[in-house]
Amino acid sequence: MAGVTRRFNGNVAVKDMDLEIPTGSVVGVIGPSGSGKTTTIRMITGSLAPTEGQVEVLGEKPSAFHRRTRERIGYMPQLFSLYPDLTVGENVDFAASLFGLILFRRWRRKRAVLELVDLWSVRKRRAGQLSGGMKRRLELAATLVHQPDLLILDEPTAGIDPLLRRTVWDEIHRLRESGVTSIVTTQYVTEAEECNLVALISGGRLIAWGTPDEVRRSAVGGEVVEVTMENMFDAAVLTDSAGVLGVRQTGPRAFHLVVDNAGTATPDAIAAIEAAGGKVASAREIRPTFEEVFTALVERDRTQPEAAQAAQAEAGGEKTEAA
Amino acid sequence: MGLAKLVVRVLAVVGKEIVEVFRRPGAVLSLILGPFLILAAFGFGYQGIKKDLATIVVIQPSSELPQEAQTYRDMAVRGLQIIDVVPDRAQAEARLRAGEADIVIVAPVDPLASIEVGEQAEVTVITNVTDPVEANYAGFLAETLASVVNREIYRAGAEEGQAYAITIGGRDLSDVPPDVIASPTKPVLLNLAPVQPTIVGFYGPAALALVLQHMAVTLIALSIVRERSSGALDRFRSSPMRATEVVMGKVIAFGLLGGAIAAISLWLLVALLGVPMLGAVALIALVVGLLLVASLGLGLLISVVSDSERQAVQLSLLTLLASMFFSGFVLRISEFQPAVQVAAYALPVTHGISLLQDLMLGGSLTQTWQLLALAGIAGFLLLVSWFLLRRELRPE
Repeated sequence: MAGVTRRFNGNVAVKDMDLEIPTGSVVGVIGPSGSGKTTTIRMITGSLAPTEGQVEVLGEKPSAFHRRTRERIGYMPQLFSLYPDLTVGENVDFAASLFGLILFRRWRRKRAVLELVDLWSVRKRRAGQLSGGMKRRLELAATLVHQPDLLILDEPTAGIDPLLRRTVWDEIHRLRESGVTSIVTTQYVTEAEECNLVALISGGRLIAWGTPDEVRRSAVGGEVVEVTMENMFDAAVLTDSAGVLGVRQTGPRAFHLVVDNAGTATPDAIAAIEAAGGKVASAREIRPTFEEVFTALVERDRTQPEAAQAAQAEAGGEKTEAA
Repeated sequence: MGLAKLVVRVLAVVGKEIVEVFRRPGAVLSLILGPFLILAAFGFGYQGIKKDLATIVVIQPSSELPQEAQTYRDMAVRGLQIIDVVPDRAQAEARLRAGEADIVIVAPVDPLASIEVGEQAEVTVITNVTDPVEANYAGFLAETLASVVNREIYRAGAEEGQAYAITIGGRDLSDVPPDVIASPTKPVLLNLAPVQPTIVGFYGPAALALVLQHMAVTLIALSIVRERSSGALDRFRSSPMRATEVVMGKVIAFGLLGGAIAAISLWLLVALLGVPMLGAVALIALVVGLLLVASLGLGLLISVVSDSERQAVQLSLLTLLASMFFSGFVLRISEFQPAVQVAAYALPVTHGISLLQDLMLGGSLTQTWQLLALAGIAGFLLLVSWFLLRRELRPE
């Protein structure tokens, strides 16, 4: 996606989005409800055309996908879009037929995906009688049945229990090992850890893009070392120390240091603390949770949009090199 | 390979639609039994004749006309039941308003005097109805009544031996009975139709056509609208499925269902209600097939222009209402203005009714152009709906 903007009746749903997704990766499109995730996804599937900018998927514009290209894509919508009066098996069979799977292969794939999502035993039950979680699993089975190369999942883990959520992610990782690229939207920011690449979206804008570590680093400005002291210590004296990018006092005997590289900067920081009269009880690198990361990034985007854009550009540049 | 996949996709839609309909057994039962039960109730419940109207005759005291009700009952005017003869018109009108009578007839005071001065004597008929059909019927009865009264005047004159010089070809007819002089002609009705069906027999084919159109329109319209609201169309949009395959699958599925329902309904109509079926079964099947395809095209059009299930239901019901009024089901199409007739002939059911009545009651097609018209409507509606659906399945 390059410079993609989508408006609905003049209202901007997605603004100036740039994304380049490497083959075989698991990309998490993460953001709160109404942030523009589904609009982004629908532009990738070809359901929506961008108002401005270019989208290219598997080498083609989604608005002009060839049939063979569409057969390589599996799309799982956010809402249950299968047929409540059909059985579980019939729904998967129908989904397979949409992609032209012939009888024997269809039956084989139906069994494989229903066993995968643990619905084989209820294959004769009508879809309308399934629980919310089972319906999501059925949607997933219907999306996987034709063995797509590109999987686009719109909130596949919404409304399902943690154990099943784990199963879904395990399956996404397994597919990745066989070369499948997955684009997954989620409201659960902690699921960013499951992805190779993370796109954080807020208010229709991409506020962070990169590997989970890159995004985390982008949020806090570096790596974080948590230091606890045996005596009271004012961490402000470390502000100008070599390798220290920032200091945040969290208590009379504790503070966080933001450093460029925790491995190399921590011994230097400890030496500087002791030189300043402090006695270090412990010093360890900590990883802020993605909830903290997301909150920090949204806050920064709101209060310092220019800094946010610079950080995003930097992270994007690193990603492009990696890709 | 491409063709095989197309077949797989079309058959998937066919199978899905049929299974979905059969998963609702109540709906299937009502689809088959509903039309039959309605016709059966109509056939057994409708008497086919209007009840005689309770009539009060007003004979003013100064009139020389008979004052006894029995005299007028003996005249046996069709459709009228004389319940009273009164001298006061106002009193009779009050009883009419109170619902005691359906009609009041005010006789002229001295009809012979009017005739002698070369004027027609007026027989006033008063009703109290808002229904235009009933009002027309009252007018028809007034005309009938005037004829009866005229005849009675002739008859009375002849009976009293007044000088009517009636001679035909120089022959003296003075010994001809007064009844014949009063009514020199009498109607003899001959009907060339192969069968004279009962009311059910006549309306059976029309009701079947109407039911088939409504069923086809509703089934396909709701099917697509539901898929739009559930997000299934979004799934189609991101799959290799094309509008052509969606249309083909749905038309085949609902066409097969409609055909089966038509076959069962026809059997019930013929075997249990005695509706005649004189025409060739193959031709009847062709008409039913064309009617179903054209109706499915209409339903598809409704589905692509509707933005919700509610709107689709409303448009389907409006189509049914329009079909009731304009298809010839109740009123003859020739009684409408030409512009409305054009609209009437745009409805598939108009041709369906005409063709099925022709074939079932007449035994052959007299309006072959309607067969072509039905095929044309089917092709046009399917093409337009396919085009609109294709546009909908493209990126928004």
